[in-house]
Amino acid sequence: MFFKGINHYGNLGLILDFGSNSSQPISQEVNTVFALLQGLDLSQLNIIPSFNKIVVSFQNSQDRNQAQAVIEHTLAKANLTNSQKDRKTWNIPACYEDSYALDRERIQATHGLTKEEVISRHTGVSYYTYYIGFMPGFPYLGDLDPSLITPRLATPRIQIPARSIGIAKEHTCVYPKVSPGGWNIIGQVPFNIFSLEHSRTSLFLPGDTIQFQSISEKEFIQIQSKDLAFDEVIKEFSQ
Amino acid sequence: MNRFRITRTGTYLTIQDWGRFHYQHLGISPSGMMDPRIPEALAAVIPQHQNQFLEFAYVGPSLKVEQGAIKVSVGGQCNIFVQKNNNTQIEHAPYTSINLFEGDELTIHSTINSVYGYIAFENGLGLEPCLQSFATDTKAQIGSVNRPLQIGDQFKISQDVSSWELQSNEEVNILKQTNFKVHPGPQLHYFADEVVQSFVSSPYTITTQSDRMGLRLEGEPLKSHVSHDILSEGILPGCIQVPSNGQPIVLMRDIPCTGGYPKIAILDSEDISKIAQLPPGTKITFDF
Repeated sequence: MFFKGINHYGNLGLILDFGSNSSQPISQEVNTVFALLQGLDLSQLNIIPSFNKIVVSFQNSQDRNQAQAVIEHTLAKANLTNSQKDRKTWNIPACYEDSYALDRERIQATHGLTKEEVISRHTGVSYYTYYIGFMPGFPYLGDLDPSLITPRLATPRIQIPARSIGIAKEHTCVYPKVSPGGWNIIGQVPFNIFSLEHSRTSLFLPGDTIQFQSISEKEFIQIQSKDLAFDEVIKEFSQ
Repeated sequence: MNRFRITRTGTYLTIQDWGRFHYQHLGISPSGMMDPRIPEALAAVIPQHQNQFLEFAYVGPSLKVEQGAIKVSVGGQCNIFVQKNNNTQIEHAPYTSINLFEGDELTIHSTINSVYGYIAFENGLGLEPCLQSFATDTKAQIGSVNRPLQIGDQFKISQDVSSWELQSNEEVNILKQTNFKVHPGPQLHYFADEVVQSFVSSPYTITTQSDRMGLRLEGEPLKSHVSHDILSEGILPGCIQVPSNGQPIVLMRDIPCTGGYPKIAILDSEDISKIAQLPPGTKITFDF
């Protein structure tokens, strides 16, 4: 058990602390507690999980104080090693060709890798979804093969194309929409990963496992032209 | 059917309500009105507002009734005029009901010594909620209308106004302050005692680089002896984060949902609305 305790976060929030590190076992506990909190009916406004913290916000401090007692009581007797249910395993097509990989050549040069090595090392890992943050449907995935670990861009780009695959530090991501951002762009996914039309909203959810599969530009354009809805993507690319 | 059209947007005209909650774990920010005290005061004048308000910053919009008639009320410190169909101009006070008939054009001038103003409409704006809220988050492109409003945008209000009787709220008391009470931030210990002392003893100026996402401040730099880069964690409106240049940013309603800068302090939630109304150039102070 990594859970360390609960502190106040301003006058309307709580922060649950799971230590100062990031790891998959810590994240699994965070996401187990997140699911537990969602089931508690705490009159909360938001529950925000991240690598090693959960922030919960409330409408007023009375609700907050009542919830703190309930959470402390619940966590004291809960089994936090329970694995999550409903997790999906994704096999996501990704195109690493030049038109979609703004920073791939620089990554190759920085790490002394060939194009094929960058692709095989990025597709060779089954990534864990830590949490969704930064922007709607943006997944923090990890961990990268150590040979791909790269700092964020010193100056963030003003516009990153939608569905771009980025890497930064030990994590990888997919940008759901056009956005400013500082991740190194090495590829692109051929369908939307965020949809207001589907109850899931975000294609990837915490705890999901994602493995990318390299496709050619031709295959990319072919899949992209189908303009797949979430249900079709789920059916075709997840288990 | 009653219909009006936006004929001037002013600056940063968006649809807002009390906020979009329960979605921050999907990366979707709470959004909502920058200063909900004003719509609360407008609710006494237009009780059937349907939680669909227009929010503007600095310069107000113009809107013209093209069909039927509508009843509105404007809140905030601003001058309000109606150009009647017969070319006469009438000035109205904030927090009073304004009846607008076919051909009438409402124009709201700049906000005075403040930033945000609001318009409430009897029977709302005929909008469908998006993820349980009417609020617009322009950065994430989420909302009943997922962008700032533009000239030509039309709104249709199917229900007719129930009574043309004039109403007003005489008891509006929107307080202004420049000293803010803060709570300790989760990374307060990232800052040495003398740095924390600067934070509470020297003034910070609100800069022009401020919007619905955050207010960038300028003052005595706050350098951390630990790091200005933390593992990203959940953030809430009111968090005061300090990037590596040492200049604090007060996060507002359109926050990114997680952030990787240390937070020295968190504004009291009551004060988020108050700080939102301070124009760039205003000097503010903090106190634990």
